[in-house]
Amino acid sequence: MSVPQYRKTAALALVAGLGLSLTACSTKSDDATSDAGGKVTITVDCQPVGSQKDLLQNWNDDVAEFQRQNPNIVVKSVSVGEQCNNPPDFTARLAGGTVTDLFYGYMTDLQQVLDSGQAMDITEFANKETIPTWDSVDPALKEVFTEDGKLYAVPTKNYSMGLLYNKTLFQQAGLDPNNPPKTWPEVREAAKKISALGNGIAGYAEYSAGNTGGWHFTALLYSQGGQVLTEDGKKADFNNAMGRQVLQNLKDMRYGDNSMGSRQLLQWADLLTNAAAGKVGMFIGAPDATTAIVTQFQGKYQDWAMAPMPGQDGPAKGTLGGGEGYFFKKGLSKEQVEAGLKWLAYEKLTPGKGQFDYVRAKPQNQPVGLPQPTLFSVGSDAQKQEVELRKANANLPVENFTAFEATPVPIKGEPRNAQAIYAVLDAAMSGVLTNPNANIDELLKTAEGKVNQLLAAEG
Amino acid sequence: MAITTVPGTTRPGRSATPYAAGPRRTSLGRKVRDNLTGHAFLIGAVLCFAVFSWYPMIRGVVMSFQRTRRGETTWVGWDNYARILDDPSFWTAWKNTLYFTALALVLGYAVPFFVAILLNEFRHAKGYLRILVYLPVMLPPASALFLFKYYAYDPSEAGLFNAVLAALHLPTSEWMQSPGMTMPAMVLASTWMNMGSAVLIYLAALQNIPGELYEAAELDGAGIWRRIVNVTIPQTRLILLLLAMLQIVATMQLFIEPLILANGAGAEDSATSVAYLIYQHGFFQNDLNGAAALGVIMLVVLAGFSAVYARLTSKQD
Amino acid sequence: MAHDSGTRTLISHAQLRRGRGKVVYWTLLTVVVVVFTLVFLGPLYWMVTGALKSGQEIAQTPPSLFPRDPQPQNYVDAWNNLDLAKLLFNTFYYAAGALFFQLVLDTAAAYSLSKLRPVFGNAILGLMLATLMIPAMVLIVPQYVTVIDLPILHLNLLDSPFAIWLPLVANAFNIFLLKRFFDSIPEDLMAAAVVDGATPLRTLWSIILPMSRPILGVVSIFAVTAVWKDFLWPKLVMPSPETRTVSVGIYAFSGGTPMNVVVAASVIAAIPTVVIFLLFQRNIMSGLTTGSLKG
Repeated sequence: MSVPQYRKTAALALVAGLGLSLTACSTKSDDATSDAGGKVTITVDCQPVGSQKDLLQNWNDDVAEFQRQNPNIVVKSVSVGEQCNNPPDFTARLAGGTVTDLFYGYMTDLQQVLDSGQAMDITEFANKETIPTWDSVDPALKEVFTEDGKLYAVPTKNYSMGLLYNKTLFQQAGLDPNNPPKTWPEVREAAKKISALGNGIAGYAEYSAGNTGGWHFTALLYSQGGQVLTEDGKKADFNNAMGRQVLQNLKDMRYGDNSMGSRQLLQWADLLTNAAAGKVGMFIGAPDATTAIVTQFQGKYQDWAMAPMPGQDGPAKGTLGGGEGYFFKKGLSKEQVEAGLKWLAYEKLTPGKGQFDYVRAKPQNQPVGLPQPTLFSVGSDAQKQEVELRKANANLPVENFTAFEATPVPIKGEPRNAQAIYAVLDAAMSGVLTNPNANIDELLKTAEGKVNQLLAAEG
Repeated sequence: MAITTVPGTTRPGRSATPYAAGPRRTSLGRKVRDNLTGHAFLIGAVLCFAVFSWYPMIRGVVMSFQRTRRGETTWVGWDNYARILDDPSFWTAWKNTLYFTALALVLGYAVPFFVAILLNEFRHAKGYLRILVYLPVMLPPASALFLFKYYAYDPSEAGLFNAVLAALHLPTSEWMQSPGMTMPAMVLASTWMNMGSAVLIYLAALQNIPGELYEAAELDGAGIWRRIVNVTIPQTRLILLLLAMLQIVATMQLFIEPLILANGAGAEDSATSVAYLIYQHGFFQNDLNGAAALGVIMLVVLAGFSAVYARLTSKQD
Repeated sequence: MAHDSGTRTLISHAQLRRGRGKVVYWTLLTVVVVVFTLVFLGPLYWMVTGALKSGQEIAQTPPSLFPRDPQPQNYVDAWNNLDLAKLLFNTFYYAAGALFFQLVLDTAAAYSLSKLRPVFGNAILGLMLATLMIPAMVLIVPQYVTVIDLPILHLNLLDSPFAIWLPLVANAFNIFLLKRFFDSIPEDLMAAAVVDGATPLRTLWSIILPMSRPILGVVSIFAVTAVWKDFLWPKLVMPSPETRTVSVGIYAFSGGTPMNVVVAASVIAAIPTVVIFLLFQRNIMSGLTTGSLKG
């Protein structure tokens, strides 16, 4: 082999190597938007994962049926994991621009989505034409996804928290499952009796890690009538009697009564796993926590009932509410946005279809009869229809949730900059749950200082 | 084409190779061609370094002076740094990280050295012991940490460690749930996972110590401890210093232990590390710029430390 | 007590063979063997058998030494529910690619720096070695931002294996190891080849590489285990469930999975690296020592 020849070979090898890498990468960028044969293609995330067999089957059936009804639309589903919005992955997809055309997000994600520059203004497209039930959708929910008069997402779920309790354990502990605790002192009494069953059962369980501790601190604080930030959102507002009461209640249960189990530093799925295994008497959560317990954690929905959020000495003064929706990726064509809205209307916003297809869910042993998601305004046509269908197909004793439904508690949303604040409040929660000598005043003072500094720095 | 250079004659201490494009009596065209060939072989690796190492280095510094909001990036001067330094979590994280580093130095640095000295004396079961010590190093850290999290550090007496302690009538611990135990527990797990490589490196160093030195020391009446102090340590000084440095840099990047063992921040923030804070800012709090600033601060601290360390250790010569 | 071939160490062999020394030696050896077995193998035993216990048994006090009623189902569940086949395949695939790119590009670079020595070669080597001083955590954010939008090309490597392969090529330690090894190959061998008219590529292929098998083995093993053990980087650049590595996958599922199943999955995930270790322990140990010592 002569020298020039060799050089050619080397160059070829290099070019081949690099070229290979380039072509391999570039195939990713252009698969979604092509409209072959006049068809509109949209990609949608949050497809259920393989282990959620029924849910996945339902989703796929819905896609097939939707495409049959709309032959010019192709829906490509993408699964992004068990938790559709896992912050680091969500951040990665947003920053990397790899979000799907329609992408799932929480109500609190609006700021981050706007910051990433990936959000599309869909104000002019979201209407009765694309979503037949649009006028029935609770305006407050639309408002959450609106900034400066522009709508960026379609709300698809809305929840508020209450007290979930295990009826079977209530019975075993000699408590009346039809008369759940209404106040925190009553919760404490019940927790004591349930944990006396032994077997590693926690009477009441609570989060304290991975930012979920701060999340539930917020919910508990709302029940006391408190708020995390002052009205103007510039200062922390939890270092007061109400914040102290929240932590005191937990400390009393954890170390006074030893009724919260020995394993702490729980995160979202840890608690639900324990609950599904019948190891948790009570915890606070939204009604759809039972859905997760059943579909993801192999628990039984028959065990679970829900009471309104307890308050300190009467009904709760407030409860944490939140929800989710689908954002639209910037740069979609008009046709794609319309197709996307149609799909959301079909899958998420039509009584009797998609997530409201109770006839289908009932025999699959998914909980039917849960009082939420409350997407539609009370008294609207869609709401009446949905309630009727739900009642007709309920497989859970509806009375399990009547108390929750009959006692509306004022709903409060999450504070701004929620994740950063929750990270700070985790420490206060883990303090009272892991340290028998925790100084509550000190914990709150530290957290207050941190949150104030964080807010000041944000400006 | 004639080979005019004789190996070993061109430059002192470094022989020119037949292809070397360095100073040689050849034509300009030949030189250019040889250089091109050399760079053709280099280009792939250089591109990877440029894109994934050198450029991100600069990018990190640039990002730390910017802020991206609403898809628009603006220069904000020292704002990110001010914000990060104002955050009390920053100081908690550094305090925790330095505490971990110090504890790891005591446990993870001294222990392997003495283990190596011990193993070096054995004439039997050598291979077996080496394999044992190194085995945990080969486990994926996530696997090993789940073992510790679920089985060893279980806060009840069903956990391995507590069961052993209880059997010995010693007080049990809540491990990761007890703010005071968080760091020692993480250091323990981390040392178990990582000490194997240090032991092997020390073993190799020990084998290079000339036996006469020990003999001479023994003739002078030096006992075992004196021999370690007067012969073993000075003879392995370079490697000891190097490993101390590498270990400090590695432990300052503490991340996966808090993430898995402590579910992040741990009891009362006792596990928050600087690296975990970077992760929180970058991927939970929508603040990649703040995370970049944290990274630059970490780099400055480590670079400063390395410089001081190099200074101190070289002065002793 | 036959093999006396080793050199003199801290304590002379003679001393260890005499009466008291002999007793102390054997006692100490026995203690160390037992303690080390407990400390290093014990947890692994606990891991493998713990994952065989039922949820009740693992929560009982005091814990049982052997699983009373072994539940191999935990391993089956781990395999099925976590889709370990997929996760393991992904990890193998990333490891194989990383191995390929590192062997080709890093060997070529080290060869060039050692034998071809183009202009600026030393400067480039210096810049490469300088990256050894930069801790990985410092680069994680800008590296990540780079990978999601490559400069000039504006490609997004998220969820693409290249996001794992190419950054690993930028491994100064490998290049350093290889270069030092190549440096030790006598020039006369190459000179002879050049007289025969062999090109640099040919020389590399037929003279250098065959002599470098030991070091190539070391680099290969490090390349594979690095991918297997890495966590944060694949967690960040492979956000989809389809592309996760085994460590990241287990972590992602750990929240919603019973702990015995998580540990069972951890055991399965550890098997490949442990097997690699047991097969290649000699090379690994020699690599560790050559790499870090004689620099």
